[in-house]
Amino acid sequence: MSAFQVRAPSRSALRAWGLALAVLSVVLPALPLGPLFAQPPMPLAVLWAAYGWAAEDESGWRAPVTLALLGLLHDQLAGGPYGLFAGIYLSAYLAGRILAVLMSAPNLVSLWGGFIGTALFTIAVAYLLARLGLGPNISVMPYAEAAIITAIFFPVVRPLYMSSSPSLRPGARR
Amino acid sequence: MARRRSSTRRAGAGRRIPAGVALAVVLVIVAVVLIGTRAGRTPATEAVMQTGDEGAATAGRVATGPARAGESFFDRLFGGWNSAERIEQLEAENRELQAWRDLAQRLAERNRRYEALLRMPPDTFGEGADIENSIAAQLVLDSGGPFMRTLVANAGALHGVKVGYIAVNENGLVGRVVSVGQHSSRVLMLDDYNSRIPVMGESSRVRAVLAGQATRRPELSLYPYQLQAPRMDFVVGAQSLREGERVITSGDGGLYPRGISVGVARREGDGSWRVSLAASQQPIDFVRIIPFVPIDAPEETADPNATPPLGSSSSVAVIGRETMQAPPTAPSATPAPPRPRQTAQNQPPAQTPPQPQPQQETPPPAEPPATPPQ
Repeated sequence: MSAFQVRAPSRSALRAWGLALAVLSVVLPALPLGPLFAQPPMPLAVLWAAYGWAAEDESGWRAPVTLALLGLLHDQLAGGPYGLFAGIYLSAYLAGRILAVLMSAPNLVSLWGGFIGTALFTIAVAYLLARLGLGPNISVMPYAEAAIITAIFFPVVRPLYMSSSPSLRPGARR
Repeated sequence: MARRRSSTRRAGAGRRIPAGVALAVVLVIVAVVLIGTRAGRTPATEAVMQTGDEGAATAGRVATGPARAGESFFDRLFGGWNSAERIEQLEAENRELQAWRDLAQRLAERNRRYEALLRMPPDTFGEGADIENSIAAQLVLDSGGPFMRTLVANAGALHGVKVGYIAVNENGLVGRVVSVGQHSSRVLMLDDYNSRIPVMGESSRVRAVLAGQATRRPELSLYPYQLQAPRMDFVVGAQSLREGERVITSGDGGLYPRGISVGVARREGDGSWRVSLAASQQPIDFVRIIPFVPIDAPEETADPNATPPLGSSSSVAVIGRETMQAPPTAPSATPAPPRPRQTAQNQPPAQTPPQPQPQQETPPPAEPPATPPQ
């Protein structure tokens, strides 16, 4: 019986899968694979990573730099301007730092609520940055659609980005 | 990622700003500056974007190569199942097309005679478009994002592509080349938010601007590279436009050739018009990139020796002077003083229209005597 026992994946393995999912969500929409791989309906997995790394108290330089690089890659594949997706992802990280503390009760509703707040915040940021970079004709509706889809699927992928334990940062409720 | 507690202490305060947050704030500011300067989209920074497009296009070819190969393999495999039925269908279609070809040839011959009678200049497909030297390219990347609607084709400057060339597929207009690298080029699609194209109805000649909106249409989302339905703005004489009428480029503004098929006009429930794009009838996989040289304005190609500028001594200006006499004024007791004779010194510059001259010249003043009278 013990031979068939499956070990739970380690935290680092889950994080690696989460990072791979974030990279795929940037690369796959750029490939000619059909409308199912466009954004929307494909979720913005980098938002999951930004919120998860913020909630897990990734205080070092790696989380912001990784998000900035993913954003620049997304900008390159989407045709620019540089900084648009980088700004959106980094703002999600900063909003996640605050909302993960405010919504740090160890239950799914609280964790989900924090991510929903982060996703809504990025919609406002996307509205401002897209108008600045691409002109007043741009509509933020497709981005809002993708962000809402991302928020809906957050509970499914949450283990890849954050544990269910309360936020590790000082000030969080435990 | 390892958990860290690195932080920087704010001067004079007890609270700490984590290094990650400080770095994120700095990076956000840098990102806003990049957006504000439109990095990658201005001529000065476009080379960076083009270099990135080259690498992405190469990666896209590699990444989608197996998928394309597998797709064509399965197409061949499953296509053999109903080959007999398909051959019959194609033969019937071919017979119908031969009848249409005969009709088209007769109409073309009649049209040529009419044009010769009217001395019309030749009006081929897309005035100014060089169909003979079009470049075939495969699309390797799709922006696929929520903001931009662009495609990357695997033909660039080395293949002769230049900014401004027109991208069409077998059904109609796809977009316009906005950026060119050595081996790849980026095509702005018709349904991008910043796409504005002057179009007109083919039979009603109603002019309009086709504005891209990138709104999703679920009923058309079965194919890759699905174009959306742009909105028609500033419709002039909209009452003449008809549902189902073919929409073509009007050529106004000189960015697109005239006469390229764009799609079919569709009226929405709220009264607005949209265009079901012809290019979206099939998945966009290959495009033809057509060289397009806009027609120069007559002022730019005018021969200064052959046609003197208006307003100086041309026949048009003379006619204007003769037909635009000053209105008669009421007679006055004192006659008007004679106008000075036009000389080289007091002649107005050529740009200003000359004043109407009297029909009879005033007699020259008498010359003073060489010696004073005694």
